[in-house]
Amino acid sequence: MIRLAVKDLRLFFRDRRSMILTFAIPIVLMTIFAFAFGGVGKTRQSNKITLLVSDLDNTPLSKKAILQLDSLKSIQLQAVTLEEAEESIKKGNRSCVLVIHIGFSDSLIKGAELPLELRYDEARGIEVGLIQQSLVPTIAMLPFNLLNSKQMIGNRLARMAGINDPKAKEAIKTQSDHLYDAISDGILRSGKRDKVNIASNFMGGDIKMTKLVRSTNDNQLGLIQAVAGTAVMWLLFSVVGVGMSILDEKHEGTLTRLLYTPTNPVNILFSKMISANVISILQLLIMFLFASLAFGLEIYSNLGGMLINIIATAFACSSFGILLASLAKNRSQVQGLSILIILVMSAIGGSMIPLIFMPSFMQKIAVVSVNYWSIQGFYDIFWRNFSIFNPTFISRISVLILIGIILNILAVIMFKKNILKLT
Amino acid sequence: MIEVKSLTKSYNGRKALKGINFTIQTGELYGLLGPNGAGKTTIISIMSSILDADSGEVTIGRYNLSTDAKSVKKVIGVVPQEIALYNELTAYENLLFWGGLYQVPGKELSNRANELLNLFGLEDRKNDKVGNYSGGMKRRINIAAALLHRPKVLFMDEPTVGIDPQSRNLIFEMIEKLHSQGMTIVYTTHYMEEAERFCNRIGIIDNGQIIAEGTLDELKSTISTKEIINITFSNINEEKANEIKSFWSDAKQSDTSILFKSSNVKFDLSKLVLKCNQIGLDITNVEIMKVNLETIFLNLTGKQLRD
Ligand SMILES: Nc1ncnc2c1ncn2[C@@H]1O[C@H](COP(=O)(O)OP(=O)(O)OP(=O)(O)O)[C@@H](O)[C@H]1O
Ligand SMILES: [Mg+2]
Repeated sequence: MIRLAVKDLRLFFRDRRSMILTFAIPIVLMTIFAFAFGGVGKTRQSNKITLLVSDLDNTPLSKKAILQLDSLKSIQLQAVTLEEAEESIKKGNRSCVLVIHIGFSDSLIKGAELPLELRYDEARGIEVGLIQQSLVPTIAMLPFNLLNSKQMIGNRLARMAGINDPKAKEAIKTQSDHLYDAISDGILRSGKRDKVNIASNFMGGDIKMTKLVRSTNDNQLGLIQAVAGTAVMWLLFSVVGVGMSILDEKHEGTLTRLLYTPTNPVNILFSKMISANVISILQLLIMFLFASLAFGLEIYSNLGGMLINIIATAFACSSFGILLASLAKNRSQVQGLSILIILVMSAIGGSMIPLIFMPSFMQKIAVVSVNYWSIQGFYDIFWRNFSIFNPTFISRISVLILIGIILNILAVIMFKKNILKLT
Repeated sequence: MIEVKSLTKSYNGRKALKGINFTIQTGELYGLLGPNGAGKTTIISIMSSILDADSGEVTIGRYNLSTDAKSVKKVIGVVPQEIALYNELTAYENLLFWGGLYQVPGKELSNRANELLNLFGLEDRKNDKVGNYSGGMKRRINIAAALLHRPKVLFMDEPTVGIDPQSRNLIFEMIEKLHSQGMTIVYTTHYMEEAERFCNRIGIIDNGQIIAEGTLDELKSTISTKEIINITFSNINEEKANEIKSFWSDAKQSDTSILFKSSNVKFDLSKLVLKCNQIGLDITNVEIMKVNLETIFLNLTGKQLRD
C-alpha cells in the first residue's frame, strides 16, 4: 500500500503543472481577495471614500463639526457649494453630499434635532449606505464634543420635559450638572461602542436622507451585478466542459477516426467552437430570462443590446474554453488550469465582488478579464440604459470579439501542435 | 493498386519501421501478420495519412499520399484497432455520422446504414446506445462505420481482437463478402489462423521489417522443412545446448526448448532422441509441428507469434 502511495506521490511531483495547480491556486486566490478587500499594504489611506460637504450654516460650530467628521478614518471630506455637489452627483462622479443647513449651530446649542441632510444618487445605494453608517456615530457625538456639555444637557433635558419657565430651568440645570457628571462618568468608563450607543440614544444622530438622483432601473444595480457576474463565471466553466470534449475524443479514439475521414482537421476544432457558442448563448439567455422572471430584471427594454452582448460574451468565452482544452494534455490538467484561470478572472473582473468595492488599482487590472468587459456591457444595457449605438457599448463589444478572435487563433495553433500530433 | 516504398518511422528516436516495402494488387486481400509492437498500426496510420513517415512513399490508386492525401482519404475506409465510436449515440446514429463525413447523400446514407446493420445482425438493436453494446457488437459497428462510403480500399487493423467466436465468424463472412465484391483489403492481425484463412498474400512483419512475403504456399516453400520437432528439456545448459545444436544442421533455441527442422520426422526423431540420451539431456516434452505461419514465424525469428 505504501508502495502504491509512494508511486502516486512520485507521479504527482513529476507533473509540474499539477503541482502549480495544487499549490498556486489557493495562494493566488487568497492574494486577490486580500487585495480586493483592501487588507494589504499600507495604502488604506487611499481607499477613503470621498464625501462632499456643503456647509450652508457656515458658523464656527459647523466648521468644528466638519473637522470632527474629517477625522474619520474611512471618509475624506471635500467642501463644495451645494450646486457643485449636486451637479457632480447627477453626473455620476460622486454618490452623495452632506448638507449642513442654516440653523445647525442653534440646534446644536438648543439640543434640538440637527438639520443635516444627505442628498444622494439612488443607484449608488450601497456606497451611500456605507457612508451613512460611518457618519451616524460621529454625528451623535457632536454635541458632546463641540459644546459646553453641561449647558447642552441642561437645555436638552428642559426641552424634553417641555419646561420654559427660567426659574424651573435654572433648577433643572443645577440638577443636570450632577446628572451630567454621572453620565459623562458613565460614558468615560464605558467602551467606545457603548459611548456611542449612549450618546446616540440620548442625542439621536439622524440624518435626513434625500434622493437626488432616482435610479432609472429602480435600484437594479445589485441584481444586474449578481446576474451578470454569476452568468459569465458559470459560462466560463461550462465552455471549458465543451473544450474538454476534444480531449475526451482524443482519449476515446474518435478524434483519430475523424482524421481518417476527408474532414479538415481544423474543422474539428471549429465544430467544437460552434457547439460551445450555441451552448453559451443558450445558457446566458436562460439565465437572463430566469433573472427576469424570478427577480424582475427588466430585460425587454433593450433586448437587442442584450442579445448582442450575449453573443459577444459567448464568443469570447467559448474561445477561451477551446483554447484551454488545446493547451492541455489531459482532462485533469484542463480541470485544474481552468479552475485557476476562471476564478482569477472572475475575482478581478468583478464576477464575485463588484468593482466599486475594490481599490482603484484593482479596478484597473480588471480589464484583463473577459468577465469585466461582459459585465460592463450588461451594466451599459440594463443600468446605464445605453443604446446599441453608444460608443462605449460598442467598444466593449469590440473588445469581447477581439478577445475571441485572438483566443481562437491561439487555439488553432495549439490544437495543431498538441492535439493533432499522434507521435 | 497500393505501393509502399521504403517506409521508415521513428518514435522518439526508437525505430518502429525500418524500411517497409510491399505492393498490393487491386482486389487483393493482403494480410500483415506480426506480433505486438511489430509496426502494423504504424503502417496503417501512415497509409491512411494521419501519420507522417520519416521517409518513403505510398501510392494508392492514382494518388500519391504526400501530395494527394485528401483524395486518398475519400477512397479508403479505415477500421481502427481500438473501437472508436460515440458511446452516447445509437448504432444507427453512429453510422449516419461517420458516413455523413464522406458526403453520402441522406437517403442513400440511411439505406446503406440499415443494410449494414442488417448484414452485421444488429438491425434489432440499431436504436440502442453503442455504450450499452457488448464488445463483439461494438466491434461489428466499428467495422460497419468504415463501409458507408463504399471505399475502394479498406484498411482493417486487427478488427477481431478480443471478441467472441460468434462475432468473429460474422466478421469473417463479412470480409469474405467484401473481398468477393472486389474490394482491396489490407488486414493486420497477429492471429495466424486469420491470415491463413482468407488472405491472398501475407507479409510477415516483425520489429519494423517485413521478414517474409508471399502466398501461403510460397511462404511454406521458403523453408525446405516439412515439420519442426520441438523438444523441451529439464536440464538444459549452455554447454549441452551447444552440443546438440552442433549435431543438427538447423536448430534454434527458444528458452528450454530447441526447435529442430526436419524433412523426415520418423527418421530424424529417433536420431535426436538417441543423441540427447548420449549428451545427458532429459526430455520433458516433444512436439511435432506441421509447417504453418506460426512455425514459419518461429523459424524466421525464433519467437512465438503470441506470448
Ligand atoms: N505514439 C507512439 N509513441 C511512441 N512509440 C510508439 C507510438 N506508437 C507506436 N509506438 C511504438 O512503435 C512500435 C510499433 O507500434 P505499432 O502500434 O505500430 O505496433 P502494432 O504492430 O500495431 O502492435 P499491436 O499488435 O500491439 O497493435 C512499438 O514499439 C510501439 O511501442
Ligand atoms: Mg496495432
